[in-house]
Amino acid sequence: MTELQAVHERKHVWRNEFMLIVSLIVFVGVVYALDSALKPVFTASTLLLTGVFLALVPAAIWLVFFYMQDRLEPEPKGYVLGVFALGALFAAAVGVPLVENVFRVSHWIYANTLATILGGILVVGFTQEFLKYAAVRYSIYHSAEFDEATDGVIYATAAGLGYATVLNIQFVVSNGGVDLGTGVIRMAVVALAQASFSGITGYFLGRAKFESEQIWWMPLGITLAATFNGLFNWLRGLVSQTSVSLSGAAANPWPGLALAAIAAFVTTGAVLWLVRRNLATQAGK
Amino acid sequence: MENKKVSLGDRYAETTVFIITVIALIAGWFYKTSLENSSVPFNMEGISAQAPKGWLQSQPAGDELLRATDRSSSGFNTTYLLRKIPLAADTSAAQVASLLTLSRGQDLLAFRVLDQREVTVYGKTAYEISYVYVESNPDLTHKNIPSVVRGTDYIFVNGSYAVVVSYWADEKNYDLDLGRFHLFLESVSY
Repeated sequence: MTELQAVHERKHVWRNEFMLIVSLIVFVGVVYALDSALKPVFTASTLLLTGVFLALVPAAIWLVFFYMQDRLEPEPKGYVLGVFALGALFAAAVGVPLVENVFRVSHWIYANTLATILGGILVVGFTQEFLKYAAVRYSIYHSAEFDEATDGVIYATAAGLGYATVLNIQFVVSNGGVDLGTGVIRMAVVALAQASFSGITGYFLGRAKFESEQIWWMPLGITLAATFNGLFNWLRGLVSQTSVSLSGAAANPWPGLALAAIAAFVTTGAVLWLVRRNLATQAGK
Repeated sequence: MENKKVSLGDRYAETTVFIITVIALIAGWFYKTSLENSSVPFNMEGISAQAPKGWLQSQPAGDELLRATDRSSSGFNTTYLLRKIPLAADTSAAQVASLLTLSRGQDLLAFRVLDQREVTVYGKTAYEISYVYVESNPDLTHKNIPSVVRGTDYIFVNGSYAVVVSYWADEKNYDLDLGRFHLFLESVSY
């Protein structure tokens, strides 16, 4: 590839990434405006359909965004979608029941700051990151298509987005469709965060397969991802300001959401930097 | 890309990742249990107990000494109640149970007794009544569906008074929260 072609390709990719981010912002803006204007009321079935739609659109946009990162040798779309579906399946069949029904985290995780952080890392973080790791490790990992270190990030982010989709559907349904405007921003942030945390696991997974790593390598990857996951959940609830008026008390989710969004973007930036460094190394070879 | 020789990090990853996850979950379980079982001492009118830490405690009113409510429980908030009822001489636990049942039948919606019997609770003789009722918010604009609440009373007679320890929980949470209630019940002394 000549230098001119490389510059042209880089511009093309950046333009596509920019368009994806813009389309996500437009989607969130439209849902926010519609929710404010129409104040929709849902039946059980329309609520579920709305939840699926609102959860799938941000996940799909982020999926394309991360998929585009593997410029050297794009992965088969069917495999990426398969891992996405497996991530969602593991979340619905194991992750959510384990966290909600066995550990019953909502009963104790908000008792104090330490409980939020420790519960977020040890229970929520490890459960989610292990299942996202398993969705890649026990499906595509041993296939011939998983043939470069970057593939770990691509497939792991797909699993993370599948997991996030189930969490977001659960969020809409459990809230009864209330305040979808703020909810859709939360869903976009949660999807990005889940993708970026599993991107960390994916980076370690890819390196474990193609580099000579030590025995502690993969446990370290999962622990780091679980720690980021737990800290993200803590940040999201950290600065919820409560305002009291004559009509009652209301929590302001914006500061927490903004802080969580910054954390998610920083983690994503770090994962993308690692991916690009891998690609540059491979291109050099 | 050609696969290199399998590294240690890859060969043992399945086992090591599984082990670290199990260790984290076990640690999380112990932490959860310690948090749920943490308590604060309660002592009033000669009756002491270990009330759950972090639960909402109401001011004593009438014969009610303690009302502790778990605000984080779903549906009807799980509640422990401690009452001290003065008795006439020779009143039995069964008679106190009848009075309580009558009064609950008047106050609570769709109140039904499921079972009642004499039991031994942590070495003390008590009368146990299990019942169910419907908790409905009196506010007509309240949109939540009424909750089915399961309750159990333990009545201990001690000469001139009876100590009634009650457990109320949403039907869905009753069995899950029962273990924590038994810790509270065991801690009651008079």
